[in-house]
Amino acid sequence: MKFLHERLPNGLDVIAEVTDTALSTSIGFFVKTGARDETDAEWGVSHFLEHMVFKGTSDLSADEINRRFDWMGASANAFTSEEDTAYHAAVLPEQQIEATALLARMMRPALREEDFDTEKLVILEEIRMYDDQPPFGADDRCRATFFGHHPLARSVLGTVESIERMPVETMRDYHRRRYSPGNIVLCATGAVDFEALVESARQWCGDWEPLAIPPRRAPLDLRASRGPTLELLTRPTSTLEYAVRMSPGPAGNDDDRFAAKLLAAILGDTSGSRLYWAMVDTGRAEQASCHHQDFLDAGMFATQLSCDPEDAEELLGMIDEVYRGAAEKGLDRREFEQNRNKLAGRWVLLGERPRRRLFDVGPEWAHSGDYRSVADDLRTIENLSLEDVHRVLARWPLHGTGSTVLAGPLPLDPSLETASEAQ
Amino acid sequence: MSLLLPIAANLPEPVKQTLHSTTLDNGIVLLGEDLPGLESVAVAFHTPAGAVHDGPGRCGLATLSGEMMLRGAGDRTSRDIVEVLEGSGIQWAQSVSTSHASFAGAMVARQLPTALPIYADILRRPRLPDDELENARQMVLQNLAGTEDDPAHRAMSALRQLHYPHPLGMPSEGISADVEAIGIDDVRSFVRGHVVPSGMIIAIAGRIDWDDFVTRVERLFGDWSTDDTSAVAIGNRGERIRHVPHDSQQTHIALAWSVPPYRHDESYEASAALSVLGGGSSSRLFSEVRERRGLCYSVSAGYHTLRDYASAICYSGTSAARAQETLDVMLAEIDRLPGTIEEAELDRVKSRAKSALVMQQESSAARAAWIARQWYHLGTVRSLAEELARYDRLNVASVEGWLAANRPAGLTVVSLGKEPLEVPREVSP
Repeated sequence: MKFLHERLPNGLDVIAEVTDTALSTSIGFFVKTGARDETDAEWGVSHFLEHMVFKGTSDLSADEINRRFDWMGASANAFTSEEDTAYHAAVLPEQQIEATALLARMMRPALREEDFDTEKLVILEEIRMYDDQPPFGADDRCRATFFGHHPLARSVLGTVESIERMPVETMRDYHRRRYSPGNIVLCATGAVDFEALVESARQWCGDWEPLAIPPRRAPLDLRASRGPTLELLTRPTSTLEYAVRMSPGPAGNDDDRFAAKLLAAILGDTSGSRLYWAMVDTGRAEQASCHHQDFLDAGMFATQLSCDPEDAEELLGMIDEVYRGAAEKGLDRREFEQNRNKLAGRWVLLGERPRRRLFDVGPEWAHSGDYRSVADDLRTIENLSLEDVHRVLARWPLHGTGSTVLAGPLPLDPSLETASEAQ
Repeated sequence: MSLLLPIAANLPEPVKQTLHSTTLDNGIVLLGEDLPGLESVAVAFHTPAGAVHDGPGRCGLATLSGEMMLRGAGDRTSRDIVEVLEGSGIQWAQSVSTSHASFAGAMVARQLPTALPIYADILRRPRLPDDELENARQMVLQNLAGTEDDPAHRAMSALRQLHYPHPLGMPSEGISADVEAIGIDDVRSFVRGHVVPSGMIIAIAGRIDWDDFVTRVERLFGDWSTDDTSAVAIGNRGERIRHVPHDSQQTHIALAWSVPPYRHDESYEASAALSVLGGGSSSRLFSEVRERRGLCYSVSAGYHTLRDYASAICYSGTSAARAQETLDVMLAEIDRLPGTIEEAELDRVKSRAKSALVMQQESSAARAAWIARQWYHLGTVRSLAEELARYDRLNVASVEGWLAANRPAGLTVVSLGKEPLEVPREVSP
């Protein structure tokens, strides 16, 4: 495995992790833009734009783009998150040049008003689809409360209202500002011909005009650090109650982030964790899990619970007790080692799939300008000590804190409200 | 810009492939595939203890039994099992389908000797302890309650239940009332009767040492013998059209009609036709329903196969006000399919299928699943070269020929949402 990097004169970064034994080539354009970069008037534009990129350029129709990807046998898609918008395709190596050219051309979309109006309907359907699904908006509401005035508070899809009132000019302006070459990384993994990749970048992206990009980091004001909050979204027709709790954790630039992921696995992985044995194995909860998520300038532990509505209050209390127990009594070496090995095993398996590696290598470079090989990550995981995990637990206690949102049939309950008002 | 060639014209020589198979005296089939370049191996044990054997009033028995098998086996408690597997970095999974209960693990190759004896305990010596039944039952019931909140899953589940002859379409996750009634004796007799060597497939792929693997499996499973399991009586299918009332913003539409199962050679023509209809982003349904009209976020058509029955399945979810139009456009596209397939469309379908097959070789778990699936359906494992050659033989005439003789008819139509939809009489006479 080797890593290669070249920067075009206009600022576009071209990077590749080349694996000689790979049978496929994955190519992605990672744009350093997402929901956190939007204003109120632009709420949802990053994701909406991601859809519009597939609607064609001045000389390629949407049908033509779809036909070409299928013709190449490509597995092509895109995603938008709080911090990234990515367009990617996995192809057989002989299609690398075609796939790169197509993705590159798409980065300069026509953004036709007629397409914009039709695609708006699709976005509204996507919003409704998620609204009908667990956790019924609890995740978005929780993020909004937890991050408060921080830009990470914004949900990726936007709202029905923000999408409906958005004019096409807003998107065109956003695209011009955010899709500047210095704000984009072209990343490839697997069986990559790097010379050809750079040549494709020069041919298709070399004339993109560079624009200054304002810094993204925002001062962190985590409301949750001021104490626990609790909100209820009543969904009378849902069967289970769904809870999401977010509490502060190490950010993406914090050396403790790997230890935080190990801690989350010990406490709340979807199997073999403390929450699993306490609630899932016993059939008390459909799900009781915890994971760590990091952003550029913030991090959090996200706890998810789904269970019978009448058990929700008790189980949330139990989760808090599990967290408190870990903080007060510490973790034992056996569970620490079990979970460290589990994490390492997971990394090895993910690492040997170039299609999966794209989503580690691309965003890592986009966020930090760094490359970390699978071996680098494995070394970090294997060097973690029990003390590292205990330090994270002391720095970022998970009990007695966090923003919690419940969605489900539970009616507004006075006892729950008291807990909220007490803060 | 350069000329775009269909992949069919320039696909590389098929990847060098080494497949292994052998059958133990007790009937267990062992399958293997070397995947050079990988550090991992994936192993999967498929026992013929699928939901099809649940029996009347016991829908969910296979799933509950599979869960109980993990709750202590041989000298190991359920915690021991999980702690050893996870402590060795083994990613494990357990699932129950219509035909099989499956236990699988993916790991770095050197951990295989640790993993195999644990799976042998789970399969041959499950404790099935009485005092774990309630917890396991509650776990199954929690999962069932979760599926109640997933409208797309509910629509598809109802579709399979109606379309396939009973009990082939019954939900493997169970039915609450039935799960409530299952006793420990049901579980024990189910495991005794169905988790058996005859009909069992053990598949391994990745960085393997085949001879060593066979020796280990011989030692762990070779002296296991039981009687053959009884066959399942196949009954009638359900009604053609059903609306499931559900208080949601979107209405979910699921359609099915019968096509040949995978082991029939013409299943390639059938799945190619369905892929033209709703396989990729240039497919007809995606283009007409989503791209041109913006009616929905998700719409697709695909091929679903059991051993003796298979279906074309179409799905879309859209807001209630536009659901009727969505259904009408879907039906019109299905109706328009025979006689209109173009060569360029078929070339794209072939490229996608062939490319996916080659890329699958990068995942030990995907290949272990694939070779087991082939054995179950075909009684053999086709080489990649054979598979690719079969796609090459697809042409417009063969697909149209199959479509002409097998026009989509007798559709099962399920809608789930606030209001029922109007289904034209001729769709489902």
